[in-house]
Amino acid sequence: MTAQPVASTRRFSLPESVHIAVLLVPIAIYLLALGGGVSLATFFAVGSAVGFTLQRARLCFVSGFRDLFMLHQGRTLRGLIVGLAVGTIGFAMVMGTIIPDAFAGRTPEDAHILPVGLATVAGGLLFGVGMVLAGGCVSGSLYRMGEGYVASWVSMAGVMIGLYALNQTWNFWWDLTISTAPRVWFPTTIGYTGSIVLTFALLAAAYVATLWWERKQAFVANVPIRRAQPAPPASVADDVRLALRGVFRREWSPLTGGVVLSMLNILLFIKYRPLGVVGEISRWANDLGASAGIPMAIQKGLDGLAGCAAAVTEGGSWFTDGFMLNIGIIVGAFVAAVLAREFRLRIPRQPQRYFQSLGGGVIMGYGAGLGLGCTLGAFYSAIPSLALNGWVYALAMAGGALIGTRIIRRLA
Amino acid sequence: MAETETAVPVLDVRGEICPYPMLRTNKELDEVHPGISALDVLTDHPPALSTIPPEAMKRGYGCEIDEVRDGEWMIRLFKDA
Repeated sequence: MTAQPVASTRRFSLPESVHIAVLLVPIAIYLLALGGGVSLATFFAVGSAVGFTLQRARLCFVSGFRDLFMLHQGRTLRGLIVGLAVGTIGFAMVMGTIIPDAFAGRTPEDAHILPVGLATVAGGLLFGVGMVLAGGCVSGSLYRMGEGYVASWVSMAGVMIGLYALNQTWNFWWDLTISTAPRVWFPTTIGYTGSIVLTFALLAAAYVATLWWERKQAFVANVPIRRAQPAPPASVADDVRLALRGVFRREWSPLTGGVVLSMLNILLFIKYRPLGVVGEISRWANDLGASAGIPMAIQKGLDGLAGCAAAVTEGGSWFTDGFMLNIGIIVGAFVAAVLAREFRLRIPRQPQRYFQSLGGGVIMGYGAGLGLGCTLGAFYSAIPSLALNGWVYALAMAGGALIGTRIIRRLA
Repeated sequence: MAETETAVPVLDVRGEICPYPMLRTNKELDEVHPGISALDVLTDHPPALSTIPPEAMKRGYGCEIDEVRDGEWMIRLFKDA
């Protein structure tokens, strides 16, 4: 593809007055949700905040891993690592309230303490490959859907196909490995304090490793963006405007994004459960499959699994907590993008992009189902749960991302 | 905005998601027009603003970024004469 003159088509920009009016969208959904119950409204509110945060910080788990391998840039991953440290402290406090005596043999049932074994490794690997091909993980695709990326809508369709395929083969995996895989919760053997120390040591090691890897091919460039500069602030009103600009217009650092995301995760866990989006998407896939005439067989062992195991439609209602959370992420990112004047329909012009988005989505969806979660549920909520599965999944996902970057270099 | 130089080719990668804006820019610099003295890359994908410049700079290009309109940026790559 050679350089072409700029086409003036495909530009999509909203007029000024609509920027603020966009807030009416989440407000209306929130009020409607309140009619259905406090939890629906709360999940929607937290989802919106998550979507807003992900968009503002451009917090992309894929770029966290991919940029490390491809560009030797570790800034995003370090933001996530610091966020995980914050989440670890918060989760330990919540879990310590639910299970005061960690040595008693019980575990907090909503924490993401999952069977760790072959399925964790295979799921993480597939997820890592798929997310790099698709250019976004599951939560990343959700928020980019709200930003207007058509490719991310295609990826999400792929994720649903992948999850449906996994659910059809779930009982095979359950009998083969998941049913007998152990659930390892560090506090049972080394207590909360020991688990926090262990997690912090591992996070610190990962942090240093990114610095070391960056230094191996040091090239960090920060090019300032030239834009029309406003006059320096001369009044309180100007100061307020500047502060608002910092939140709504200027990009947040990955560090800010990672920490805010963990704070939201802790708050949701205090009242309900940790963040996770895949179980719900899995339910959508199953319900859509059933509507198309291929109902899902009973999946074994789902009752005893926390986190992102496939949810089951209860009472015939589509509007569940998980639904509101996922929709909230899309809406929150949409609002953030419009307020930042970054919303636009982004339509890939190269046909093969659609195949990559769909194919990457399918691989990622299958991996997310097998590994019992995505970058949020099986990683960002699992490591603070002080569970071994989070670390195993993270390592497998990193390996998958490395393979994915190799593939993508050939495809480009 | 900087004054536009005459006949600098524009690579339009709008609509593309990471890492394709960067990979297509690299391909342009390495294979399509090897040694080209200047290239403008038009993108609407904010993360590309932090992936394209370092890769181009590794290849000896200088870099400037102009916000050409809301949500659209022109990344100007050039070799010093």
